[in-house]
Amino acid sequence: MAYQLYRNTTLGNSLQESLDELIQTQQITPQLALQVLLQFDKAINTALANRVRNRVNFKGSLNTYRFCDNVWTFVLNDVEFREVTDLVKVDKVKIVACDGKSE
Amino acid sequence: MSEVRELFLDEGVDEQVLHELKTLWENKLLQSKAVEGFHSDEQAALQASQQQQQQHIQHVQQVTQPAQTQQVILPPQQQQQAPQQQVIVRDPKLLQHMSATGMSAAATAATLALPTGVTPYQQIITQQGQILQVVRAPNGAQYIIQQSQQPIVLQQPMQSGGVQAPVIQQVLAPLQGGLPQQTGVIIQPQQIVLAQGNKVQDNAQVMQAAAMVPQPGQAAGAAPGGAAGGAATQVQQAHAAAAPQAPLQPQAQQQAQLQAQQPPMMLQVDGAGDTSSEEDEDEEEEYDDDDDEEKDKDGGEDGQVEEEPLNSGDDVSDDDGGELFDTENVVVCQYDKIHRSKNKWKFHLKDGIMNLNGRDYVFSKAIGDAEW
Repeated sequence: MAYQLYRNTTLGNSLQESLDELIQTQQITPQLALQVLLQFDKAINTALANRVRNRVNFKGSLNTYRFCDNVWTFVLNDVEFREVTDLVKVDKVKIVACDGKSE
Repeated sequence: MSEVRELFLDEGVDEQVLHELKTLWENKLLQSKAVEGFHSDEQAALQASQQQQQQHIQHVQQVTQPAQTQQVILPPQQQQQAPQQQVIVRDPKLLQHMSATGMSAAATAATLALPTGVTPYQQIITQQGQILQVVRAPNGAQYIIQQSQQPIVLQQPMQSGGVQAPVIQQVLAPLQGGLPQQTGVIIQPQQIVLAQGNKVQDNAQVMQAAAMVPQPGQAAGAAPGGAAGGAATQVQQAHAAAAPQAPLQPQAQQQAQLQAQQPPMMLQVDGAGDTSSEEDEDEEEEYDDDDDEEKDKDGGEDGQVEEEPLNSGDDVSDDDGGELFDTENVVVCQYDKIHRSKNKWKFHLKDGIMNLNGRDYVFSKAIGDAEW
């Protein structure tokens, strides 16, 4: 089963909001919304694996780290995300990572 | 989804794209909705033209069972009708449920036709006159209330509010994964007679009465009754709009009497306090009386007391810096390898979505270094 990890992204959240709106107006059922989200999970995982082909480097300082249920959660400070094309600096970033090795 | 993927691959997200996404998502859902509505239309046609035909029932069942997804196979029997805006996407679920209970096509159609977003619940009329009430809790949980008996075929358009008073025997647990708030609200099998003239002003009373019916006067029934009242309140609220018309059975009359006798119970929308005993509720009320802030600060529990000094310790964080963004930059990804030497961490990540400074990025691989 695909990770539901990507539901808390712009894409995922907007989808959930849209679904909630439709549920509020009784246009869909929560069951259907759940199905949509499951489909979203699959599609996102597939898309990320197959369609994306770029690399990013980042450097910063580690504020906190957590490893629970095979999920890493980091909070980094003063991080630089470097891609070939551009550079992004943030003061604080949270990284949530699920196990990708099992696949 | 393909459109979404294209947008997804585009790096950079702003409000406009977000709105577009929402629109796209909604359009997509609308499309699927149209299909559902179409199907429901057929069902309505079934009801209008023919009532209680086994063929239709079988069709519904056949359609229902394989069609667990949103795609519903349109029964070839029926002439196509104008697509309906209404969606009953819960067709598969409901139909399945209905077929399980042997509902007639008419009932199905009635059900499908009913939920035009009028009230938070739908009525499904079974072949035997049973009424399945699908109650939508505000939080989205669905309760299916099965009401047995009642040879009377009750058909009420929800809109008109001609709800009759079926006897609720059993309230099934929420269809959707059970919201935590309402996990405790699993109504015990009880007979609840909806109003007979009491309308639903005393929703709680009804539920209370219903709860009390099997065990009259028992305090134990009060707590689950309260819980039942919480969930049933929503049902009752829906019924409130409707005027009960159905003739009551003797049981109903008894319950109606009970309703009158029972003192109104608190309408509890949330189930937080329901599961606990009344004593706990009292305690919680006491806490509520106190300032919530005090509770949070002083902590009604030990954990919160400790959190206060801990939180103050966490406040020694870096400044936000010159750039203040509401976004907490988040990266969701998968990890290949996380390595640490002393306080030097190395991250090997893959397949990630990043939201940095409000913009979205993606990567197939990311390598990072950080010092703790």
